Amino acid sequence: METKHKILILDDDTDWLDTCRDFLAQLPSQPEIRIAASGVRALAMLDAQKFRVLICDLKMPRMDGLQVLSIVRRRFPSLRTVVLTGLQDDQFRSRAYALGVDLFWLKPDMQENSQMFLDCIESFLGREDADGFRDNHARNLLDVIRMECLADNSSVLKITSSRLVAKIWFHHGELVDAAAEGADGEAAFRRILKWKSGTFESLPAEPERARTITKSVDALMAESEQRIDKYVNPGSPEELEQQKLVEQLAAIAVEGAEFLVSIPAKKEIAPKSWGVKGTENLTAWARHAEKTALRLGEILSAGPLNYVAGSNLERQLLLLPQNGKTFVVGWPPEAVGEKLFEQTKKLTFAWDS
Amino acid sequence: MGFLNWFSSPDPRVHNLPSGSFTVDRHGKVMSATVGADFPASLLHDIAWEILSVFKEARTAQMPLAEVSLDFAGLQVSARDMQGGAIIFLSPKNPLATPSPAGAKP
Repeated sequence: METKHKILILDDDTDWLDTCRDFLAQLPSQPEIRIAASGVRALAMLDAQKFRVLICDLKMPRMDGLQVLSIVRRRFPSLRTVVLTGLQDDQFRSRAYALGVDLFWLKPDMQENSQMFLDCIESFLGREDADGFRDNHARNLLDVIRMECLADNSSVLKITSSRLVAKIWFHHGELVDAAAEGADGEAAFRRILKWKSGTFESLPAEPERARTITKSVDALMAESEQRIDKYVNPGSPEELEQQKLVEQLAAIAVEGAEFLVSIPAKKEIAPKSWGVKGTENLTAWARHAEKTALRLGEILSAGPLNYVAGSNLERQLLLLPQNGKTFVVGWPPEAVGEKLFEQTKKLTFAWDS
Repeated sequence: MGFLNWFSSPDPRVHNLPSGSFTVDRHGKVMSATVGADFPASLLHDIAWEILSVFKEARTAQMPLAEVSLDFAGLQVSARDMQGGAIIFLSPKNPLATPSPAGAKP
């Protein structure tokens, strides 16, 4: 039986809701369209039913659109979100994109370019069924990369997976560079291939991008497959554990960190650490600092937390939430602040993988 | 007439991200601020309390910090400890202007 996708429109202006509902009824796939006049009502509806797209106003009483979006982002990560507002301010556009919205439209633009707006919404409804990319990222991403190379294309592929964003640069069908999770070049490309889900979009070419990848796409993919094969046919558990430890310690040594603590979300599980003894105090502070930062971020609608940094004369600390864990990495005071975030991301990735 | 106000809904609005700096004493009282007057004072107090608590917890953990920075996608909150109080800087960011996908820098 064919099931229709559902769209939820959130706006405090009930006349606009009716107009919008009638307008979206023109969508070719004839989705079910529901409306909500408050953020609380919208969240309750999202909890009760599965929606494909949320179209959200920003300026609303009590709970504004950014607050709704920050909650939606966390609770319904696969929901496509569109901001439709009358607020013509770049700051709000930036903040909305920072919260991970898929599209930002001004109400007057939507009325002037109605067909384009409908096409965009229709593409959100159809994308999952059309190419399965969102649910099966790995297979389709490889296909896309191969196609870019075979077609001798010059473009930039932007890949988004949850809060992570990566880019792959192509020039005349050759892989030129990649950037992901603080890494560049081949390392970044390998990381992207490991991502389990995400979306991608093709951006205009950047021919001036410096080349950092010299291997062919096929060679990199073959290496990646060999690595996967190694995981599928591993050695003994002890060997694997030993190898993992060596890789983790090598990453710490290469980056020059003083210590690292990995704190699980559950308090009953003991933190893992290297380079520091007695992590109780540090763990207590990290849990408090992260909780505080998340609370502040939510109060201010400031977007996802990147990191918490702290410093004194003896060292610098960088706290990074990642995959349900909290990492605290200690750096010497002379470490260059500008690079610490990227270095910490690299380290935590090695420690967490 | 105040009675009627109970039934009126609050004005719809979206808060701008705060920009500027302010100082707080050890009790969380805002001493001076360059943050726009339209930014709610209650939120300023909330920020102050949360930041002071991060410094306080660090002292409790026997690793006192001189500076703390909370980096969000849209805003950076930086603070310097001032004998129990703090000076706090609020700097909104423009993620669209970020040149690299690697993200912001501390």
